[in-house]
Amino acid sequence: MKKIDWLFMTSLFALIAIGIALVYSATSNTDLIWYRTEWFKQIVHFSIGILLAVVIVFLPARLWKNIAYFSYTLAIIALLFVMDSGHISKGAGRWLDIAGFRFQPSEFAKIAYLLASSLWLSKHRVSILYPKTLIVPGFMFIVPFLLVLKQPNLSTALVFTAMTLVQFYWAGFRFVDLFLFISPVVSVILSATSALYWNILIICVFFVSIKFKFPIWLIVLVMMLDVGGGFVSKMMWNSIEDHQRSRILTFLDPMRDPKGEGYQVIQSQVAIGSGGIFGKGFGEGSQTNLAFLPEKHTDFIFSVLGEQFGFFGVFIVLILFCILFLRGIMICRLHTDSFVNLVVSGACTILFFHTLVNVAMTIGFMPVTGLPLPFLSYGGSFVITCMILIGLLINMRLKGGNIY
Amino acid sequence: MLSNSQHPEDIRLETNLKTLVFAFVCVISFALLLVRFLQLQYFEYDNNLKRAEENRTRKVNIKANRGYILDRNGVVLVRNRPSYQISLLYNSLKSKADKDSVFNRLLRITNQDGKRLLDSAALAFSFERGRWQKFRYQRLIEDASQEIVALFEERAEELPGIEILIESRRDYPFGEYGAHIFGYTGEISEQELELPENSHYVMGDRIGKKGLEFSYEKEFRGVNGFRYVEVNAMGREMGPVEGMPFVKAISGNTIVTTIDWKLQEIAEQAIPEGLKGAVVALNPQNGEIYVMVSRPPLDPNIFSLEKKELHKAWASVALDTAKPLTNRAISGAYAPGSVFKIITAAAGLEDNVITEHTKYKSCMGGYKFGNRYAKCHRASGHGMLNVIGALRESCNVFFYQAGLDIGNRRIGEMGRNFGLGATLGVDLPNERAGQLIDSAAYEKLFERRGWKWSHGEVLNIAIGQGALLVTPLQQTAMMGALAWGKGLYRPHFLKEIRSPEGDLIKEIPARKISEGRLSERTRELVLKGMYEAVNAPGGTARRAIVQGIKVGGKTGSTENPHGDKTHAWFAAVAPLDAPEIAVGVILENAGGGGAMAAPVAQRILHAYFYPDTLKQVVK
Repeated sequence: MKKIDWLFMTSLFALIAIGIALVYSATSNTDLIWYRTEWFKQIVHFSIGILLAVVIVFLPARLWKNIAYFSYTLAIIALLFVMDSGHISKGAGRWLDIAGFRFQPSEFAKIAYLLASSLWLSKHRVSILYPKTLIVPGFMFIVPFLLVLKQPNLSTALVFTAMTLVQFYWAGFRFVDLFLFISPVVSVILSATSALYWNILIICVFFVSIKFKFPIWLIVLVMMLDVGGGFVSKMMWNSIEDHQRSRILTFLDPMRDPKGEGYQVIQSQVAIGSGGIFGKGFGEGSQTNLAFLPEKHTDFIFSVLGEQFGFFGVFIVLILFCILFLRGIMICRLHTDSFVNLVVSGACTILFFHTLVNVAMTIGFMPVTGLPLPFLSYGGSFVITCMILIGLLINMRLKGGNIY
Repeated sequence: MLSNSQHPEDIRLETNLKTLVFAFVCVISFALLLVRFLQLQYFEYDNNLKRAEENRTRKVNIKANRGYILDRNGVVLVRNRPSYQISLLYNSLKSKADKDSVFNRLLRITNQDGKRLLDSAALAFSFERGRWQKFRYQRLIEDASQEIVALFEERAEELPGIEILIESRRDYPFGEYGAHIFGYTGEISEQELELPENSHYVMGDRIGKKGLEFSYEKEFRGVNGFRYVEVNAMGREMGPVEGMPFVKAISGNTIVTTIDWKLQEIAEQAIPEGLKGAVVALNPQNGEIYVMVSRPPLDPNIFSLEKKELHKAWASVALDTAKPLTNRAISGAYAPGSVFKIITAAAGLEDNVITEHTKYKSCMGGYKFGNRYAKCHRASGHGMLNVIGALRESCNVFFYQAGLDIGNRRIGEMGRNFGLGATLGVDLPNERAGQLIDSAAYEKLFERRGWKWSHGEVLNIAIGQGALLVTPLQQTAMMGALAWGKGLYRPHFLKEIRSPEGDLIKEIPARKISEGRLSERTRELVLKGMYEAVNAPGGTARRAIVQGIKVGGKTGSTENPHGDKTHAWFAAVAPLDAPEIAVGVILENAGGGGAMAAPVAQRILHAYFYPDTLKQVVK
């Protein structure tokens, strides 16, 4: 039995406390009774989440192996279910009502897919040299990926992708394998936007695959996919309407449309920038209080932090996140069991990817995708997901040694 | 490469490497983010601060307009008016000097009479609240008049942070008329905010509290929108920002009611001044309510008033012993009185307990039952009558004896058949069910008083007294359904739901709630009695005659503990061959039904059948 990681716990609870304070600050302008306010609801979410995490910690670690495929199936069914009967109110059909509780199947699917793919990859090795080994895990990935993409929820689909790549890496892929693996996707994106980068990519792929002595059939296959994908995408890019093209470009670079899509990002940057080194103080700040930010307590909570606590606050919070992820991934070093390793790396990836994309979005580094920030953003389903992942990490740390 | 026979130490080394890579990626990407933050918050700090301070763009919520209420012919019965709120936005007051000067200037503002508009304690409280909620509007004067708005507009330059916000409030152009139907709106209460179906509301929103405003809140509400506006340095709106998202508010739907406003006005005017009571008129063929009046009247405009005024007005109506807030037409439960005799008669005829030839002991002005002497309303007596004559002249003695033969069970069944003893499901809140009970329920109800059901109780029931209660709406609907003969329809106000542009969204079909089964023979006899009560010599309701129209009706005068005079009841239906309208009138402590209530019904019926001569009637 390994001891509790106090550093990990301290940064976790510090983040939760900061999150609730920020939600309070971002929403204190509404005149609601205290128990209807977002900050109070957020406390309720975390209370439920922490309870859930405690329960998960005390469960036997092998339970996750036993329920992995079952919960995966359940998640797929739930995703199929929201496809037609989903809650329309939020614009996208992402919600499901069960016994009075409203939850997002895509959140549950993240955890279910994490367990299921970890279980498969812990028992079967995967290699790019043997395409047969990729069929099952590829299928396991592509089904929830497409269902979530259809919702449409691109950002969550990207979470699945990031998790899959990291898990493949843990299961035996080398960097160069990953590079060849995702090169067709990169080619599709680059060919539409920049001919120069696309050419560089194709040349790189060619020389890398020669250098690492991949078999001829694989080189040919990858090159065909890259070049073919590039041409098809180029053709499609040229055939779509102007306004569609402009929407895609605006998504990738919101600054192209400073009064529409880019408005939030610009205001977010002004909010963060006007915070300076030490910020305007808790509850202060005209940007978050007056001017803009429709989603300031959910997606743009980090701008509230930046405006009110300045670079100092941003630095502290990013350090806390960093400690959390590093202490999290180090759990892998405690145990040799590959299932434990895969679950830990996958869980850390989900949390890290959310954090990175969300923070990068507030400063204009990434498109506005709507990925919330773990522990800081307001929202019931996502808080629960994060706390379940934390519960899994601690559970693996304490009990990952005797999983059989 | 696919072999699983790796040495454990190799696996450990490999895992260590992978975790290091992960940690490396994590640290590097966060470091890159920090560089960007440093750029924004340190190197571009001045520029960003300037941009934040010069940010003139604000998101402003647009409240949706509440839907209108129309009568069946399109007369606008309830609409909206603008209401001005003088408000303070504390954040616009930058320095302490600013705050003090605005505070003092506000205190000095007076109206024409030289009276201060703002109380210094209340103003200090608003400023104190503002300190905590810098970015919220603190309301200083609610629903300000045009003159007050002008006063503040003149001084706009010297009063930074003071803004005039425009809200929409309900306006009831006909004042007291129809007030009990429409109900009123008010600021949403904390209890209402708690309800899950009210999650769209925020504190300060107005919500329907009573009447149709309450029943069709969902239709009236509409959907709020928002837009971005540019504001000047004083915080005043300068206009919309081009190119920014602008989501229009969607106005609430219009409710077309079944009310016939001309008839409603006639009814409102027909009730003698100072009397309490209710009037209902409806179409028995489908349950559409034409008229509903409740007295004492209520001015719904008081609920749109400023809070201080509202409290005063509210106290005066809420503490009034005459209960003007109650809609007596649906929430007032009265003994049905002699009107109920048509139910007794129908129950007896339907089961052949009595026929048109049945005659009882002659009426000598009273009836001796055991050691009790039950009086008839005419002390000199009616002589010997059959059922038609007894209905015409409302002879109690006939119905005492018939009631003993028929029994309480049959009478109760007939009453339930026509909607008595249960709510009818009218689309207004607080409808009462009345009371129509059997012997067991009677004993349970009066258990604490120790009353036991006795056979003699049926004497009271048969003439509509005793343990019976009906609402005026039930009485009217019962009358109508009995005459129509093709079922009892749910009385309702909602005719159509229309979009703000006037497009039809939904039409409300008639809904039968009871079959109202009655043999042709029974109906014929009862209707004959009702016809004679109005039209034949000796009838009790001769003041309800309408030239050329076959009107049937039944009066009632119920004794009650509230005053010397009886409650005056009258229920009528016309034309008897194919009933189009049923009218029910009750006037509390007004005297006899035939003398007091029948003329009110007559005016409504006359106006209904002769709309062209309306003006003369009003005079």
